[in-house]
Amino acid sequence: MRRSVTLLSTLVVASTLLAAPAAFEPVQAQNPMTQDGQNPMGAKPTADSVNEEFLFKNADKITGRISIPDRKAANLIQPQGREYQSFREHYLPWIGAAFILGMIAALGAFFLWRGRILTEHSQESGRKILRFNTFERFTHWMTAVCFIILSLSGLNYIFGKRLLMPLIGPEAFGALAQWAKYSHVYLAWPFMFGVVMMFVVWIKDNIPNRLDWAWIKAGGGFIGKKHPHAARFNAGQKGVFWMVAGFGVAMSVTGLMMLFPFALLDINGMQVMQVIHSLIGIAFIAGILAHIYIGTLGMKGAYDAMGSGKVDLAWARAHHDLWVEQEQAKTASGPQLSGRHPAAAE
Amino acid sequence: MKAFILAVIAAIGLGVVAMYALTSNQKFAYQAFATSGARVSEPGTNLVGEKWNGDPRTNDTSESAHGKATGEPSHPKRS
Amino acid sequence: MARMKFLCDADRCIECNACVTACKNEHEVPWGINRRRVVTLNDGKPGERSVSMACMHCTDAPCAAVCPVNCFYTTADAVVLHSKDICIGCGYCFYACPFGAPQYPRVGNFGSRGKMDKCTYCSGGPEPDLSVAEYEKYGSNRLAEGKLPLCAEMCSTKALLAGDGEMIAEIYKQRVIKRGYGSGAWGWKTAYRETVAL
Repeated sequence: MRRSVTLLSTLVVASTLLAAPAAFEPVQAQNPMTQDGQNPMGAKPTADSVNEEFLFKNADKITGRISIPDRKAANLIQPQGREYQSFREHYLPWIGAAFILGMIAALGAFFLWRGRILTEHSQESGRKILRFNTFERFTHWMTAVCFIILSLSGLNYIFGKRLLMPLIGPEAFGALAQWAKYSHVYLAWPFMFGVVMMFVVWIKDNIPNRLDWAWIKAGGGFIGKKHPHAARFNAGQKGVFWMVAGFGVAMSVTGLMMLFPFALLDINGMQVMQVIHSLIGIAFIAGILAHIYIGTLGMKGAYDAMGSGKVDLAWARAHHDLWVEQEQAKTASGPQLSGRHPAAAE
Repeated sequence: MKAFILAVIAAIGLGVVAMYALTSNQKFAYQAFATSGARVSEPGTNLVGEKWNGDPRTNDTSESAHGKATGEPSHPKRS
Repeated sequence: MARMKFLCDADRCIECNACVTACKNEHEVPWGINRRRVVTLNDGKPGERSVSMACMHCTDAPCAAVCPVNCFYTTADAVVLHSKDICIGCGYCFYACPFGAPQYPRVGNFGSRGKMDKCTYCSGGPEPDLSVAEYEKYGSNRLAEGKLPLCAEMCSTKALLAGDGEMIAEIYKQRVIKRGYGSGAWGWKTAYRETVAL
């Protein structure tokens, strides 16, 4: 009995203590300070309000809560858009023009200096050896066709409005750019597939080794007349292989991020992806221009490797002597043409 | 040449496959950014719809798709 | 001609979203597309403020600069408009826009994202003023009728101001002097590279 009384009195005291401040509050509210006449509440409601300057000190963009289910709408201000604008409009066109025109100028100068690289006539001239089988050529050309369309439609994003639009007018250019965009986003898929296939097919012949260093030191046969030893692919071709693999992966990753915008990244991530995609794209185009030059105009006989697949034996002996020896060792009856897997050159 | 033609055909084919695969997965903004609230009109019809003739008085809402909700009703409205 | 701007007085905005609704209704904006939105900062904390944001019609507009097909143009009133006939829906304008104004009818960028849609400052597009084609693509053209954007015109607390930049800056300055405080002209520094001196 006594214990319950104690408990009750404790409860009463406790509730009084809790309620007391609350009881005084309305009195305070009804008696505001009115000395400034403007704001009867006395306190300035802006005293602890947020402002732009303060928010920008804490974060590089201003984000809040939004009542619509579009997550990216919660960004109120992202001044990085101005930086992206500055890169894309003030730097990128110059970087692109410098790299691509620079590469074309360098190739032109090289052609004037060195001319077409020819193969010396030997007793093996006229005989053919299979260098790339149908599947290898198919993979190469699928990737190559996609790359050419992707690079042209990609360059259209940067240079189209500057070069093409004044010539054909905005409506025609808009329609063309729309189709260029479709081709860019859809042909990206066979391109990615092709890069993966080429990687799998040719990786075993493209592991760098000591021969490559000797090849580079000898100038790769570009300088002078002597051709250094090379297996199936020389150091230059290995360079192209690894460039396509590396740049291909970088372009695929950044491109996929742009195909699925905001899936993994926020607005600043998207801007960075766009910057990387454009810069690597330009370097990729410049690199492939050199590849196209040496594979067609720059060297007589080189195009046959990807054209018909069969190269002149004298050419192969000069440029890929170790590979020819391996191939001929495999088929004792000399250069083989019926072999199904000439790629297997271990 | 055979390899080249095959490559072009394969590239176009894969591109078309990619187009169908991707566009069939693509969501409309009215699907992605809409709640299960009340819908008073056909979602996604841009601005005024096709049968709009410029005169608001003769706007016949019973004929056009715009102005009436079709399809499954979303979650019942809470009071 | 006037230099048209928006100014949201965050100390007056009560996040009623009437501007959003007015915009949607005036232009028959489709579902999922928000030309205007209200963002609440410091939500639920002391000093919470809401800002109504749409296209700010920037000086040297980033969207117009980065557009690969140059579909943007600036009117004599300094309103940034675009042509949906030329737009290819690449989405670069959204990356460049400091205010998240550009909207697209479809999510994802697989080639058929649709034509970009954004606030037109209630002044339509490149089609002839007050034509059916203009209304179908861009919504109504109140500026051609001599009216200001509806969002600002019907703002219940007159937090959202639209009109000539110097005039609305002056109105805002008077308010700040009268009441003794102001959290500033949100986004003006980024959009116009100047702010309202207080």
